[in-house]
Amino acid sequence: MMKKISLTLAILCITIVSFAQNNSGEFHGDFDLNMQSYQEDELIGAKAAEEIVLNNSYLNINYTKGNFAAGLRYESYLNALLDFDDDYKGNGIMFRYATYTIDGLEVTAGNYYEQIGSGLIFRSYENKGLGQDNAMDGVRLKFSPTKGVYLKGFIGKSRTYFTYSDGVIRGADGEINLNEALNFESKTKIIVGQGFVSRFQPDINPKFELPKNVAAYSSRLNIINGGWNYSGEYATKLNDPIGSLTAEGNNYAKGSALMNSLSYSKRGFGIIAEMHRVDHMEFRSERAQEKQYIINYIPTLTKQHTYTLLALSPCATQPEGEFGTQVDIFYKIKKGSFLGGKYGTKISFNFSRINALNGGSSFLNDDTEHTPMLISIKGEELYFKDINLEIYKKINKKIKVTGVLAKQSYNKDVLEGKTPGTYGTVKSTIAIADISYKIKKGHTIRVELQELLADGGEGSWSMGLAEYTISPHWFFAVQDMYNWGNYDVKKQLHYVNINCGFLSGSNRFAIGYGKKRAGIFCVGGVCKEVPSSNGFSLTISSSF
Amino acid sequence: MKNIITLFSFILIITSCDVVEGPYLIDDGGITPIDTSTNTYVKKVLIEDFTGHTCPNCPAAARELEAIHEEYGDQIIGMALHVSATFARPPTHEAPKFQYDFRTIWGANWDNFFGISDIGLPKGMVNRVGYPNDYKLGKNEWLAVVITELEKEIDFGINITTAISGGNGAITINTELLNTIDGDYNLVVCLTESNIINWQKDGTENIEDYKHNHVLRTVLTDDALSTSSTYTSGDNIPKSITINLSTLEQYNIDYSANTAEAGNGNAGGWVAENISVIAYIYDNATQEIVQVEEVHLIN
Amino acid sequence: MRKLFLTITAIALFSTLSIAQTRTLPSVNVKTLDGGSINITELENDGNPIVISFWATWCKPCKKELNTIAEVYEDWQDETGVKVVAISIDNSRSMAKVVPYVNASDWDFEVYLDPNGDLKRAMGVSTVPHTFLLNSKKEIVWQHKGYVDGDEDELLEQIEKIAK
Repeated sequence: MMKKISLTLAILCITIVSFAQNNSGEFHGDFDLNMQSYQEDELIGAKAAEEIVLNNSYLNINYTKGNFAAGLRYESYLNALLDFDDDYKGNGIMFRYATYTIDGLEVTAGNYYEQIGSGLIFRSYENKGLGQDNAMDGVRLKFSPTKGVYLKGFIGKSRTYFTYSDGVIRGADGEINLNEALNFESKTKIIVGQGFVSRFQPDINPKFELPKNVAAYSSRLNIINGGWNYSGEYATKLNDPIGSLTAEGNNYAKGSALMNSLSYSKRGFGIIAEMHRVDHMEFRSERAQEKQYIINYIPTLTKQHTYTLLALSPCATQPEGEFGTQVDIFYKIKKGSFLGGKYGTKISFNFSRINALNGGSSFLNDDTEHTPMLISIKGEELYFKDINLEIYKKINKKIKVTGVLAKQSYNKDVLEGKTPGTYGTVKSTIAIADISYKIKKGHTIRVELQELLADGGEGSWSMGLAEYTISPHWFFAVQDMYNWGNYDVKKQLHYVNINCGFLSGSNRFAIGYGKKRAGIFCVGGVCKEVPSSNGFSLTISSSF
Repeated sequence: MKNIITLFSFILIITSCDVVEGPYLIDDGGITPIDTSTNTYVKKVLIEDFTGHTCPNCPAAARELEAIHEEYGDQIIGMALHVSATFARPPTHEAPKFQYDFRTIWGANWDNFFGISDIGLPKGMVNRVGYPNDYKLGKNEWLAVVITELEKEIDFGINITTAISGGNGAITINTELLNTIDGDYNLVVCLTESNIINWQKDGTENIEDYKHNHVLRTVLTDDALSTSSTYTSGDNIPKSITINLSTLEQYNIDYSANTAEAGNGNAGGWVAENISVIAYIYDNATQEIVQVEEVHLIN
Repeated sequence: MRKLFLTITAIALFSTLSIAQTRTLPSVNVKTLDGGSINITELENDGNPIVISFWATWCKPCKKELNTIAEVYEDWQDETGVKVVAISIDNSRSMAKVVPYVNASDWDFEVYLDPNGDLKRAMGVSTVPHTFLLNSKKEIVWQHKGYVDGDEDELLEQIEKIAK
């Protein structure tokens, strides 16, 4: 079957290409292959895969000519790498579309991705490395009647793994850039937007009355004045009960999400403060589902770390209820000054804190009604706290140093969905030194030393990484993570990993071998979340 | 101009929303359950609820199962299988709470075969439909599948009679064919016990006197229904099984005490009056359960 | 094994075929830092080379690449007239941090936002950093994935080749 498809695709594409070259249409795409072999390793909890080698890969092909574009994506998960859900199995053409623009109206039929505002009520997107793809299958229209006014409408079914949801999703969004639309020049820029989404599913519940069309609205405002930038979005979701036969299972309460951010920046300095309050805003494409089938996106209000030990226990947003705040400061100490040194010094400071809502999230049914307080920080259960400082300094032509100091608090029970009282809150202090040394032109060696001292959870960790890169084509890296502080002596293990790769133009080949701990894994400039594993890995990615 | 009109009408058409006002419980709603006391056979559905006494989200699934049973009556048959070391093995650090071992070797084997607890509990199957792709159902998905299953035609009718006294006796299963069909079917006969009062985690609480219902105790047979694969309408296939409750009870105690399971052998204390017999027939090719029946062991 | 071989052959086939054709920018909209929206095909540089680099505030190699170029940008512009356009793929989680970060880093590049990855997908970008070089006719003549110390020298070489 696979042979037939490849052959058909090849012939089809040769035909299209030769046709295209005569008619100045263009043909390009990209390809990604991830293979991993899994050997059993009881100590780190690595499972052997029955198939021995697992593979995730996809091939995108796009054709554009003038106002017309079409394309498809062939995906193969035979079987999916263990970091992907069990249900992610199979292969086939999972994405195909045709787009045509006429008189400024853009029509897309087939699959598409779309986002309304920040995604609080609707976001259809993909992140192949994390196994995220909730593409829509339907029709989308985009239109800009005059300068500064952007309208879009869409209808379709949302994808989860290899199927589409039962629920039909409809949405519309309008955004007006007041300065452009009303044509006035001003130092202050104002942009407003309003979005609407609704999901239709028939009501088969014999005992409770369920709404067939569940709607969500969101309004957003963005004001920019010189170095000041304010952005706010408020979203609300009307009754969305799961459809259980028990009263306790059906929550008819209104959900809401509020996001605000205010930043000030000028050359060499930037500061931003953000907050969000999320209450009962899990929005699925099928009301009875418990995993995946999610059509909105509540961004996590914490810093996305890429240093391994900083990202060891990442915060997971609780869409059913949380209150968070975050502050970031970016500062560049000028070169020539006392603290700046010859090249200047860069400082990044970040603080974030997420806690529970007062009394839990909103709930409404025939017997109970609860609405949590609007703002409640003191006295609420702490979910996550992170305070970190990063300093980067170029010492001389050969040496660059980055140092990080951080303190984190991680409520393992809530954030990992465990029974309250199992682990409690894990507090950790982390220190990182990242030094790169230029041996000669094009040859650089980079060493990372990370230390995590923790109280609870898995205990303390140390990590060392050495990466040798030869510009522009090669990289070699050796990494070891050592869980020396684990309370269970048997689990005080070394996770050693070796990687090397070759890059040329838009092609990247990488092979690796070793043990990986479950979590976020970064190498050669790419980060992804993986389960614990022991074996070989091969990655090929290319675009043409 | 034409474009603006097209787009706006498109937007207007697709916008819609329903807001339901309380009370949400439908007053005259509900199904009138089919009267199953007459002799006519009806379609019955088996809901297998994989659970564990230290699984805090599991009682919600048991309540969902009860609610479905209340709504549709005797056409719904439930079975609770306590599986997995994480959720059902008696935890030594919680002693003397949660020390009963509800696990069985058959529960563990089915859990392994269907890969249920791997993806977390509670999880269940409704007549095992959807195998091998979409059969592991969360509790909220059970209702939709039950509704479709109840509308299916039946080819088999199962009749169970028991003659037990003093923990010994015979169970007789008579399978009647309602249509002429072809296929490879298996008959499974199990015993489940209800009303077992023991510890259970429920959300953030530890309930001491939780009532465990339809807990799988033992599987008496899981064999081919007949040697041929053709069945003629009107055929009757009998099966007789002799049982000794104390031997069956001891088997579970030995299984629990097995070092591989790291249990504590505390799997006895069966009460014969609370035991039911469940017999079901499944299609060997698709794993789908096509008919099921339940009766009390002691009448 | 056979299917892998066939897949690789298919890829090789497409790659060789596509080398023969010219490649222009797709018609996709991106957001500007002051709330506006432009179509990427509207980028202009008076016929001088344009570098388009995809980055994110959470991508260390991306920031290293752009900060390294920022240090020598003035020299590059004097020599070749090149314009560097940095497209941030930060989604709504970190999009608000782009402006303060860009200003604090003292960049003189044109920066645009692609929060849902529309331009990224249309240009076949799967990992960042990914850098493209456009010639005077705004055709893509060179691209490079990833960044390690020293890659900026190769980029400058490529720019010099096509600068007028």
